[in-house]
Amino acid sequence: MIFGRHSVLKRGCSTWDRQQMPEEEFQTRLAAVRREMAERDLDALVIYGDNFSFADLCYLTHYFPKVRGGLAVVPQSGALSLLLNIGSRDVPFAKTLTWVEDVRASGQVGRDGAELLRERGLERGRIGLVDSGQGFPLPELEGMRRELPKVNWHLSDTLIQPLRWKKSARELAALRGAGQLLREICEGLERFIRPGRQNFAVVADIDRLARDKGVEDIRIMVGEKRLEPPGAKMNSNLENHWAVYLAIQHDRYWVETARTYILENNSKALASYQKAQQIVANMAACLKPGNSIDSIKNVARGELGEFYSTASSYGLGNGIGLNQWEAPIFSEEEARLLGATTEYAPILQQDMTLALRVVFDTEGKLILFGDTFEVAAKGSVSLLGS
Amino acid sequence: MNGRQEFENRIARVRRAMKETGLKTLLIYDCGRHNFLRMNYVAYLTDFISVGPQTVLVLPLEDAPVLFLAPNWDIPRARDESWVADVRPFKELWSRLATVTGKVGLAGREAMHVDMHDEISKLLKQTPDNAKDIIENMARCKGPFELERLRRAAEIADAGVKALHEEARIGLKEFELAAIVEYRMRFLGAEDNFGMVVAGDHNQALHPPTERVVKSGDVIIGEITPCVGGLFVQICRSMVVGRPAPAVPEKYAILKKAMGLGMEAAKTGAPAGAIATAINGVFTEEGYEKFCRPPFMRVRGHGLGCGSFAPGSLEDSNQTKLEKGMTFIIHPNQYLPETGYLTLGDTVVMTGAKAEPLTRSSWELYVKD
Repeated sequence: MIFGRHSVLKRGCSTWDRQQMPEEEFQTRLAAVRREMAERDLDALVIYGDNFSFADLCYLTHYFPKVRGGLAVVPQSGALSLLLNIGSRDVPFAKTLTWVEDVRASGQVGRDGAELLRERGLERGRIGLVDSGQGFPLPELEGMRRELPKVNWHLSDTLIQPLRWKKSARELAALRGAGQLLREICEGLERFIRPGRQNFAVVADIDRLARDKGVEDIRIMVGEKRLEPPGAKMNSNLENHWAVYLAIQHDRYWVETARTYILENNSKALASYQKAQQIVANMAACLKPGNSIDSIKNVARGELGEFYSTASSYGLGNGIGLNQWEAPIFSEEEARLLGATTEYAPILQQDMTLALRVVFDTEGKLILFGDTFEVAAKGSVSLLGS
Repeated sequence: MNGRQEFENRIARVRRAMKETGLKTLLIYDCGRHNFLRMNYVAYLTDFISVGPQTVLVLPLEDAPVLFLAPNWDIPRARDESWVADVRPFKELWSRLATVTGKVGLAGREAMHVDMHDEISKLLKQTPDNAKDIIENMARCKGPFELERLRRAAEIADAGVKALHEEARIGLKEFELAAIVEYRMRFLGAEDNFGMVVAGDHNQALHPPTERVVKSGDVIIGEITPCVGGLFVQICRSMVVGRPAPAVPEKYAILKKAMGLGMEAAKTGAPAGAIATAINGVFTEEGYEKFCRPPFMRVRGHGLGCGSFAPGSLEDSNQTKLEKGMTFIIHPNQYLPETGYLTLGDTVVMTGAKAEPLTRSSWELYVKD
C-alpha cells in the first residue's frame, strides 16, 4: 500500500453534511455495533481514534480527530460520550462535527477515560477496547488500565471493522462524491505538469487545487524514479516523466488515484503506461460479489510477469473508505503493517469499495496507474467515473 | 557545520549518554506521524522522516546503527536522505532483536502500540528502559544547523501571512483562506503545516476551516505553522476585511502590549512561567482575569521546533529556566467578550540574554478595507 506524508493537522474544510449523512445513519450503525457487543457479552466499548486512523471512531460518531486522539465510550445502552484530547474552548467546534451530545475535553484521555467509565458505573464491567489504528498512546492506555483494575478488558479491534466492509447507500454516495472531486482534481492538475518546473511547486499547485475544492485532507506522492512525499529535500525539477499518487479525504471518506504523465514521445514508456491501465482494468473486472482477492492477484501476477514483485511491494490494492487502507487487505505482510495478524475479507461482497493500482519500472522510470472502485452487483464501477 | 557532521555529533552524544546510563543498545521508534506535539526521535538522529507506520533505528553502543522500516519501497529514499548507511526492511528487525544483549533503552515508547512493545520486550527478554530523555535533553536547545532550518521556516511563515493579506477578500470561504496560506508556503518549500484560519464577526476559538463565507468586518485569525526539514515554526496574526468594529483595534492593542511584555519577560535564566505571568498581568489589569483561564485560555505559548517539551507550556507555574538556543512561541492569543478570539504570536529563539523573534511580520492589526 502507498503511504504519504501524514499531516500534523487535518486542516482542510471540516464540516458535517447533515443531509448526506443524517443522524439516522449513525443510529442504524450504533444498533448493529450493540448487537455485536451483546454477542460478545460486552457492557461497553472504548474506541480510540486519532487523525491518522479514525475509521472506527468516526463510523459511530462522525467525528474525526484533527490532531491528537480521542475516545468514544459506547455503553450497551444509554448515551455515547466523546472524550477528546482538545482544549475546552475547542468543544463547541468539535460538536459541529458529530451528533454525539456529550463531548468532553481532556488533557489525558487514558486517565479521564477511566473516570468516565467509573461515572457510568462500568468500573467492574466487561469492556471491549477498539484500537485498530494502533494509535492509543501506550502510557495513556496503561494509565487507564491501572485506574480500573477490576475491569475485564477484551481486545475488540475486529468488532466494528466487518460492519464497515460493505458500504451503505449513504456511504457510497459520499464515496462517489469524493471520487467525482478527485476526478476534477486530476483533470485540473494536467495544466500544472510541465517540464522544467520545480517538483514541490507542482505539488503546491495540486494541493491548492484540492483544498480549494474543500477536501478534508490530501496525500500526494510524486516522482520520476520513485514516489516521494513533498519536502525540503524535493529540490529537483520535473523532467519528461512524472508519476503521481493522490488520495483525498472528503466528507470523511478517502478515495485514491494514480497517474503517470509522459511528456515526451517515448513510445516504450507510453506503451508501458497503457499496459498498466489495461492491467488495472483487468484486475477491476474481477471485482464481482463472491470473487476472491486471490483472483485479482492472479490476474496481476499473470499480466505483470517479472514486474509482479515491484508492483506487489507497493501493494496491488486495498479496501478504502473511512480508512485509506482497510479490508479487503491483499497480503499478510500488508495486514501486519496495519496491525492485523492475517489478511482479511478475502471474498468480495457487493458494496465494498477498493483501490487498485499497478506500479512498475520501465527504463528506470516509474509507471503508475490506479483508481478506486465500487463492487456493484454486476461488477466494478469506477468511483472517479473513469 | 555540514549535515553529516551534525548527525555524527548527535549519535556521539547519544552514545555518551547511553554509556552513562549503562545502555548497550538504544531502540528509537517512530510511527510515521511527524508532529511538533511529540518529538520524532528517528528524524532527529537520521534526518529521515518516514511515511510508513513502522520505523526503528537500532543504535548499539559501539557497532554501526541500522534503520529498519516499512514499507520496503521507501528504503531507497531512506538511504539517500538519512545519514544511516545500513537501511533494511522492517521485518528483519525481529531477528536482529533476538541477538541483542545487555541493557536496552527505548525512545518513542509513547507512540508505540502495546502489541509491538510486548513483542519487543519478549524478544529482548527485558522491558526496555524509557530513554526518551536522552534525546530530548539533547534537543532542548537548538544549534546553528537547526536554526538555519528554523529561520527558513520563519521566512515561509511570514510569507504565509503576507499571502493572506494580499489575497483574503469578502466572499471567500474559510477553507479557501486556509488554501491561500498553505499554497504560498508549500510553493516556498514547506513540507507540512499546522494551520488554522478562521473568519467571523465574533470568533470563539481557532479551529480548522469550515465553509463559512467571509463578510465585511470579519476578523480573520490565523495560527500558521510551516515545517521545514522536520522543524516547525509558528506565527499567529489577525486581520480584518472591511471596516473593523471599533472595539477590535482597541482590544487588539491589549494583545500587542501583552506580546511586548511577554517578550521582555523572556530572559535567559528566567523561568518560562514569567512570560505567562507578564501576559496574564496585562489582561488582568484590563479587567479580563477570568478570560485568562479555561475554558477561554490556558497557555501563552509552548516549545516549538522538533517537539514542544522545552521549555514546555508557557503557563504561570512553569519553572523551567529559559536557556540559550531554546525555541518556542509566545502567543497572547485571547478571547475577549467584545471582540471574540484574537491572535498574535511569534516564534522566538533565546540568545545569551533574551528572546529574539524568528518570525518578523508586523504586530499591527492588518486592515484590508
